[in-house]
Amino acid sequence: MMNTMTSAEDFIPTRYSLLSRLQNWDDQDSWKEFFDTYWRLLYSFALKSGLTDAEAQDVVQETIIAVAKNIQKFRRDRELGSFKGWLRNLTRWRIADQLRKRTRVSQEDTCAATNDAPDWEAAEIPASAEAELVWENEWRANLMKVALENVRHRVKEEPFQMFDFYVVKGWPVARVARTLGVNAGQVYLAKFRIGALVKKEIRRLENSELPAA
Amino acid sequence: MNPSSASPEGTGAPPVVAEHQLIRRIGVGSGGEVWLARNALGTYRAVKIIFRKSFEWQKPFEDEFQGVLRFEPLSRQHDGLVDVLQVGGNPQADYFYYVMELGDDIHTGQTIHPDFYQPRTLAHDRAERHRLPIGECIRLGAPIASALGFLHRHGLIHRDVKPANIIFVNGFPKLADAGLVTEMFKTRSRVGTDGFIPPEGPGTARADIYALGKVLYEISTGKDRLEYPELPADLGNAAATRDLVLFNKLILDACRTNPRERYRDADEMMSALLAFQFCPRDPRREKINQTVIGMIIYLGLLFATGVVTFMIWRILRLLRHPD
Repeated sequence: MMNTMTSAEDFIPTRYSLLSRLQNWDDQDSWKEFFDTYWRLLYSFALKSGLTDAEAQDVVQETIIAVAKNIQKFRRDRELGSFKGWLRNLTRWRIADQLRKRTRVSQEDTCAATNDAPDWEAAEIPASAEAELVWENEWRANLMKVALENVRHRVKEEPFQMFDFYVVKGWPVARVARTLGVNAGQVYLAKFRIGALVKKEIRRLENSELPAA
Repeated sequence: MNPSSASPEGTGAPPVVAEHQLIRRIGVGSGGEVWLARNALGTYRAVKIIFRKSFEWQKPFEDEFQGVLRFEPLSRQHDGLVDVLQVGGNPQADYFYYVMELGDDIHTGQTIHPDFYQPRTLAHDRAERHRLPIGECIRLGAPIASALGFLHRHGLIHRDVKPANIIFVNGFPKLADAGLVTEMFKTRSRVGTDGFIPPEGPGTARADIYALGKVLYEISTGKDRLEYPELPADLGNAAATRDLVLFNKLILDACRTNPRERYRDADEMMSALLAFQFCPRDPRREKINQTVIGMIIYLGLLFATGVVTFMIWRILRLLRHPD
């Protein structure tokens, strides 16, 4: 999903600064988990909407702050729809803010040579159906990635390596077995066990409670 | 030295360090700055300056000073530790400092051109070369494991083992940055670098072993420590694949989630690294050996059962026909 130059490590300072901005909200651990679960989704969606790396990082921060500010309202008002849809809207608005900011800067740079209104909406934000599809794909890929991330630390390293080669990297069983010096049965067993844990983790993430505001 | 004459961190004006001329700042970290310096004899040194203002509270600042004081005499007794040659300043004042031997330059080694000097660290080598051959990983890992074992035997832990803190002096790897060195079990504060800190937290010898395992993971696989335990899709040719897969077992034994499943101590890890260098164990060969041993045991048991059955048959026959 993520084929950008920014790694999780680069985002650690972002997470810390964000958490310090959220310090007035209760339950910092839950917010940390919330950030770890959704930053890739927001960041990737922002990049695919045409933002730069720095702008996408801003979108991540601003969207999570918006979630924190509006979460009670979301809980009260079920007409706001699913969490997935609500988060998508918040993200799109923050992306639009960034594009607006960009246009303002470029207008200042050109000393307001023209009075034409910026055409950022049409140029940068994907059309609604397309945006919906991008968001849906990113959402699914992100859930899978986060679930795998969470399961990685709960299982033995050797089976995880078998699972990674066989399921994630798509190697044939015989090649995995030959490379790691194990038999095919162990590879299948790793796939079965870790696959079950990943599915369970995806269900947990889908149903997990949002952090307290 | 006069602590009050220290310039604020990051302003560019050099602080005052006894008997040294500070030339230029070569590194800035969370706790302080590292300067290139020249002593009265003209030898180049690295000076780390820790500022009080980098700490919210006085206690951790003083703890860091005490850690450096304890580390200083020990550092010169082990080749895998960067020599700390002088400690100065006053933890009650604005800052303290320690003078260290200078690491190699990335281009010119120990020939130092002050205007262009850039320290060679393992992080630099990794960025440059992406993945190091297993033989080189062992030559890097063994002295660092040995240095950690030495520190641990003296009741100290490093708490910040990572590629950026492994420098080269005359091409030899050494563990640098004594800033977080402390006495074992003295602190439970969460210091260190994400991804190198084990799940149970820092502050133990086994946490240092975990961090070294992650360093070896990064340099041998070319992957980020946060991707552990994934192996790269491109394992190289057959010999490189075999080496990496075997070396991987050693890394796993250093980085187990359960600390009790890791190497007992850093010396055991160093022994494993050296043993691997001279006699890497091939699991496939071990499996063949185990199969052969199993076959021998099976045939032995079969033979013993046959003998016992024959004896019983003979005894019964004798009982039935005593003549």
